[in-house]
Amino acid sequence: MVALLACTGAAGTAASPEDNPFLPVAGAELRSALPRDKHDTVPVRSFLLQSHPVTNQEFLAFVRTHPQWRRGAVPLALAGADYLGAWSGPLDPGPGATASQPVTRVSWFAADAYCEALHARLPDWYEWELAAAASAQRRDARADPVWRQQVLDWYSRPAGKMLPTVQQGSANFYGLYDLHGLVWEWVNDFNSLLPADADPEKFCGSGALTLQQKENYAVLMRIAMLGSLRATDTGHLVGFRCARDAGALP
Amino acid sequence: MKIGLHCRLRGALALLAISSLCTAADLPTDSIYQLRAQLTTQSGSTAGLDLYRGHPTLISMFYTSCPAACPMLITAVQAYESHLDKKSRARLRVLLVSFDAARDTPEQLERLARLHRTDPARWTFASAAEPNARRIAAALGFSYRRLPDGDFEHSLLITLLDSRGRILTRTTKLVGDAQFQARLQNASSPGGYVPTSLGATPPP
Repeated sequence: MVALLACTGAAGTAASPEDNPFLPVAGAELRSALPRDKHDTVPVRSFLLQSHPVTNQEFLAFVRTHPQWRRGAVPLALAGADYLGAWSGPLDPGPGATASQPVTRVSWFAADAYCEALHARLPDWYEWELAAAASAQRRDARADPVWRQQVLDWYSRPAGKMLPTVQQGSANFYGLYDLHGLVWEWVNDFNSLLPADADPEKFCGSGALTLQQKENYAVLMRIAMLGSLRATDTGHLVGFRCARDAGALP
Repeated sequence: MKIGLHCRLRGALALLAISSLCTAADLPTDSIYQLRAQLTTQSGSTAGLDLYRGHPTLISMFYTSCPAACPMLITAVQAYESHLDKKSRARLRVLLVSFDAARDTPEQLERLARLHRTDPARWTFASAAEPNARRIAAALGFSYRRLPDGDFEHSLLITLLDSRGRILTRTTKLVGDAQFQARLQNASSPGGYVPTSLGATPPP
């Protein structure tokens, strides 16, 4: 009984790996929305992806053990001045960033370092796109107009309110939450999604003509948004989750 | 100074120091040398991204099996530095990092250096394995992507760093960027360049 109580107490302060498990996503030939000449599909190997975006509580556990990633300690070359800007203090998320909200205002470098500390990595875009193509029932729901509309609805929701907590919606086919409707998510190759040297600001012009699946606006907006970011950017709506190769030991 | 010593101590204790990002006492906060990324050079030794710390440096990324763009990149860098006066050129360093570490072995890089007759005292060809290559690219704003057939698609981007690793300017033009040339001359001139802006993208 005593031990049980102690365990419960600990769960309140530190994030345990079970809070955000790595779930398997089976590999597939992906019909990507990215502009690709010659190839209709790209092979994506089986991989593991975290169940939901990394939360403030999880990120707090990371900065506790990695002081170089605390707010105020990170050089500007690795995160903008607004890094973890919603937190009350370097070790205190405070009322502006509750335990189960997704952590945001984290740079790509910080997200990358967090995943490395879990012996994981950021997902590649194709992996993220494959996982995010699933509805609750189907691996690839992208042709379903009802599902597409649900995804799009997020973008028309008014911004500025407090971020919802993770896992409010339902899980998709793989048991993954919040791939749509909560935050944007860093991917490993975020700065290589658009054709090399494409000007992100021209994306909606000529560049967009080369994209496939033009009806899949939600994913196209995500590509455009990620392509416009710099690795040090710390957006209010940009979070992340981590991935692992299938079969990789944690 | 105290901080610097502290960091070195911590670095020595940590077995994997790649992600231990101590701020060296004399490194600006916006220096890309804050990134501790490991390179393998053409001589087969390991080095940090800051191997040319203390010198103005041109840095870019490439891969050797690239059919056209990469040889052009090397020629372009040579052209930009050929317009410098002798003393300025002697101060300048060039670091070209391959993101194709599997194929770009030190031997391969050394062959490339010989082929282009680059000055080994001032030029280094190196390679970075994942995840370091992706991190360096992120710091430079450089994009590269492996295509299904094993080839790469990537930026053509040359970045000028000051002696402490701050980005002074960059160009996507392989020839005739007069503004870039002028800043390169300024940064390489004896007496050195005094940056007026701390930002990553200083005014032209």
